[in-house]
Amino acid sequence: MKRLNAFLLTALLGTVGSTLAQSGTLTVATAQDPQNWDPIDTFLVAWGTVAHNIYDGLIIRSADLKLQPGLATKWTYLNGNKTLRFTLRKGVKFHNGEPFNAAAVKFSFDRLLGAEGKKGPQQANYTSIKQVKVVDPYTVDFILAQADPVLLTKLAGYGAMIVPPKYIKEKGGAYFDTHPVGTGPFRFVSYKNGESIKLQAFAEYWGGKPKVANLNFRFIEEPATRVAELQAGRVDIATAIPVAQAATVKSNTKLTLQAVASPTVQALRFNVTHGPTSDVRVRRALNHAVDTNAIIKSILQGYASPIASLQSSQSFGYDPALKSYPYDPVKAKALLAEAGIKPGTPIGIDFIGTDAVFREVAQAIAGFFQAVGLKPELKTYETNTFYSDIIPKNKTSNAYQMGWGGWTFDFDNTAYLLYHSKQFWNPDYTSKELDALLDKQHKLSDQAQRQVILRSIAKFTHDEAIDIPLYNQQDLWGVSKRVQGFQAPSDSLLHLNTVSVK
Amino acid sequence: MARYLVSQFFQAVLVVVFVTLVVAVMLRFSGDPAVAQFQGASAPTEEQLREIRRAMGLDRPFLVQYWDFLSGVLRGDLGTSFRGETPVRTLIAQAMPPTLLLALCSLGLSVALSLPLAIHAAVHKGSGADQAVRFVSLLGLSFPNFWLGIMLALIFGVTLRWLPVSGYEGAASLILPSLTLGLILTSTTVRLLRAALLDVLGSQYVTVARSKGLSERTVLYKHALRNTAIPIVTYIGLQFGGLIGGVVIVEQVFAWPGLGSLALHAISNRDYPVLQGTVTVLAILVVLVNLLVDLSYGLFDPRVRLE
Repeated sequence: MKRLNAFLLTALLGTVGSTLAQSGTLTVATAQDPQNWDPIDTFLVAWGTVAHNIYDGLIIRSADLKLQPGLATKWTYLNGNKTLRFTLRKGVKFHNGEPFNAAAVKFSFDRLLGAEGKKGPQQANYTSIKQVKVVDPYTVDFILAQADPVLLTKLAGYGAMIVPPKYIKEKGGAYFDTHPVGTGPFRFVSYKNGESIKLQAFAEYWGGKPKVANLNFRFIEEPATRVAELQAGRVDIATAIPVAQAATVKSNTKLTLQAVASPTVQALRFNVTHGPTSDVRVRRALNHAVDTNAIIKSILQGYASPIASLQSSQSFGYDPALKSYPYDPVKAKALLAEAGIKPGTPIGIDFIGTDAVFREVAQAIAGFFQAVGLKPELKTYETNTFYSDIIPKNKTSNAYQMGWGGWTFDFDNTAYLLYHSKQFWNPDYTSKELDALLDKQHKLSDQAQRQVILRSIAKFTHDEAIDIPLYNQQDLWGVSKRVQGFQAPSDSLLHLNTVSVK
Repeated sequence: MARYLVSQFFQAVLVVVFVTLVVAVMLRFSGDPAVAQFQGASAPTEEQLREIRRAMGLDRPFLVQYWDFLSGVLRGDLGTSFRGETPVRTLIAQAMPPTLLLALCSLGLSVALSLPLAIHAAVHKGSGADQAVRFVSLLGLSFPNFWLGIMLALIFGVTLRWLPVSGYEGAASLILPSLTLGLILTSTTVRLLRAALLDVLGSQYVTVARSKGLSERTVLYKHALRNTAIPIVTYIGLQFGGLIGGVVIVEQVFAWPGLGSLALHAISNRDYPVLQGTVTVLAILVVLVNLLVDLSYGLFDPRVRLE
């Protein structure tokens, strides 16, 4: 029966394949429906996973996280770094036949930086661009308001995808939301809210014809269902396999499990404005008190790495020489005693209650805190309340969960937002010294100098023990063995033009 | 009858308005939707947040926002999703058919299963069959529908590969989710129906009917069953509200693109217009079904007059 099915399938697809020289359907299950496909309206990883097959940016980040020419073939800084000039690729077309040129780039950025972009979350990322000027049909200048060392890497990310001017002017933003058009390897076919988006190979793609004829994304929020569909063979690639299901995928002979380091670091931050955690000795003691290796081994089943600062090991500015505080409960107790903390002192730990893995992590941490004589009090919040109310308004207890995905893979982004005084995500920690370091590298474009400063920032936060960096998470992907040439990317941005199916 | 309908209509409107008001107030106590847009991936400045709030219409006083919403509902305009520019009406119109389909199929399945089972169990009270029905229905009650759904998916989708595990593509994908909801519903319906039947079978008029020499079949179907219709229909009507709750969970398990999934996403995204719209529509549905249940009483019992 199975052989017959395979035969019919090959016969059916063969007819398509012979005309397109590409064949098969690749189905990917993601956990979330981004609900709109306009690049300037979203900040979701799930959006990037899908939409990087529809749109291109001027720059593309390859699977090994290197920046590569995308719709721009080269870029140079002019005018003492005040102008960023892009030379554009010729002969590129949008899916609707519109030509790609400097006018399209200007339109895309005027839209992002103008009134239309004000309504969405992406504009905030590109405030360093003052203006985009067309020099000639295939050259554009970005006039910068201030230096932005991570601008290039941002351009390869989310909001800065190039969109078709004529199409958007004619059809309007609402239509574009649900009927995206870009220059990417796959063109839009249909989208059903909460269900799926179907794409088709774009034969005129500048990077060469994709290897599969059809690319479907299905939105399956429940992880157990995602895994079941993968096992049933109705899904070829599934994102975000929960640690608890990793063994199921791994033991299945038709599937492989790919584990890649993600940009996400889980940490426990301290509130330094009140209570025992305002004393650096206590914060250091608590760093010594937690055995992060045991947490990684038992709760995360090894699918995470130890980390000593709030950045992924792949991010720019990462210092492999910086080590976590060693697990040393005796030293922890001594430090606590030195700080005058009496045994049985309560210590609050806030975390997101719906995060099943972190719930266990928080319980383990509570155990470690108890072991050094403190009285941990766990408190749970719902994700949105936690991030929009509790943290920014400094309503946290002594310690609180902070999961941070540095999507630019540059410590600047993370460090500036989490450590600079009065930043939205940092309502409590202030240090003039740290601010000066952060500001200094923020204005530099010399990468070697920045590297040095970024490392000293990590060292500073480590010595001050502003947080306990717990682990650098790994993303788990379930992949069917019929999929050829797929390497799960660290940034979850899929580029599926080179992937084929058996 | 007309007076009854008018008063019911006003009651229904009051209920819906009250429900939407509660939802609107509670939503505004639960985190900032402008911040929710950022998903922790970037840091908005206060100015940017103000811009986004203005674009969302959240800079106006609460009562103005609520009045806008209510008057919009009257015009059939439920606003626009905070995620992009899609009208809420369009989102609900897309999500409504899958949910109604699932609810009706589960309800139909549970009635089709529970009626014969309950009748058999009641007529043969104390028999092995009766005990089995009672045991299995108790077992069914004890399963969380979440778990049952995943188990059914693993057996029929993964192991046997007879049915699709999730999604909404044709009749085959309807089977597992309706089975999950339907079986859970059956467990409660069968117990209630059996009890109601036993009650009626023990009553005086049934004894009279029997003593008149009517066949057991006539007694059961002509006399007893008709008198259990009212509690059953009431129960099923009430169940409808619960069914919608169950639908939310089952939709989640089976990636069913219905109102439940829509509402859940709206909650996690703090998408006020979508959530308010979905809740309004669900409230109207529940109120409507209850009204239909009231009206149906007259069909089963001519003595019932709705005043």
